[in-house]
Amino acid sequence: MKEIVVQLFGAFSELDPQREIRVPVDGGQVIDLRRALRALLQQRFPQFRAGLVDYSAFADEQRVLRDNDVLPGDGRVAILPPVSGG
Amino acid sequence: MSFESVWKVVDRADAAIDPGEGIAAVSDPGFGGIDVFIGKVRDLNQGRPVLGITYDLFEPLVLNEFQRQIDEITADFGPRIKLYVAHAKGRLAVGDVAVVVAAGSPHRDEAFRACRQLIEGVKHRSPIWKQEHYQNGDSEWSEGCSLCQPDTEHAHIDGHVHDHSH
Repeated sequence: MKEIVVQLFGAFSELDPQREIRVPVDGGQVIDLRRALRALLQQRFPQFRAGLVDYSAFADEQRVLRDNDVLPGDGRVAILPPVSGG
Repeated sequence: MSFESVWKVVDRADAAIDPGEGIAAVSDPGFGGIDVFIGKVRDLNQGRPVLGITYDLFEPLVLNEFQRQIDEITADFGPRIKLYVAHAKGRLAVGDVAVVVAAGSPHRDEAFRACRQLIEGVKHRSPIWKQEHYQNGDSEWSEGCSLCQPDTEHAHIDGHVHDHSH
C-alpha cells in the first residue's frame, strides 16, 4: 500500500483547507489511484459528488497522466476536474 | 529564424493584464498583421447576475501547457509568427481582463488563425478553473472540458461537441 498526496483544484479544492488529500493506494497505476480516491471521497465526504472523479484527469507538473501510467515516484499528483479557463 | 513568444500567469492581486503588452510582445517590423483576443468577466451567466470570478490554476502545468501549445502552433504556421498569452489568477470583478491572446505574423490570415487556435487551447486544454460568484451570494465552479482523454477529442462533461461558444 502506497500513500499518494493528491493536490486539489477547482471544485475539489474546497474539500481541504490545505488543498491536498492523502490517499492510500493499492496498486501502482493512475487507475488504482482513481478507484481509491473515489472510494475515499464517498466515505469521508458523503455530501460531495464523488462521481466528479470519473470526469477528472490526474497530472504531474509536466503533463496529464493516463489511467495506465505509473504513479509518479515522488507520490505527488494533481487532480484536474473539467477545465473552464478563459 | 524563429521569434520569441511570451506566456504567463498574472495574479490579479499583483497586476491587471494589459492587452497593450500583448500587442507589443507580438510586434515586429516584418509583421503586417496582429490579431488580439481579449476575454473579460461578464455580468451574466445563464441568466444569473455575476459579481465576479475566481480563477484557480495548476500553475506549473498551465505554463508547460501554454508552451506546448505555442510550440504546436509555431510548427503548424512556420517560424514567422509570434504569440502571446496571459491568463489571470485570483479574484476578478466584472469587466476585468481574464485572458489576452495575441498573434503577430507577416499577413492577417495566419495571425487570425493562430490566435484562434491558441485561445481554444487555453480554454480546452489548460488546467484552469473558474468559480463564479453570483449576486445572490452563491458561488459555483464552472465545469467545461474533461482532460481525461489526452489522446482523443477532448470530451465535455455533458457530451456536447466542440463547435461552440464557451
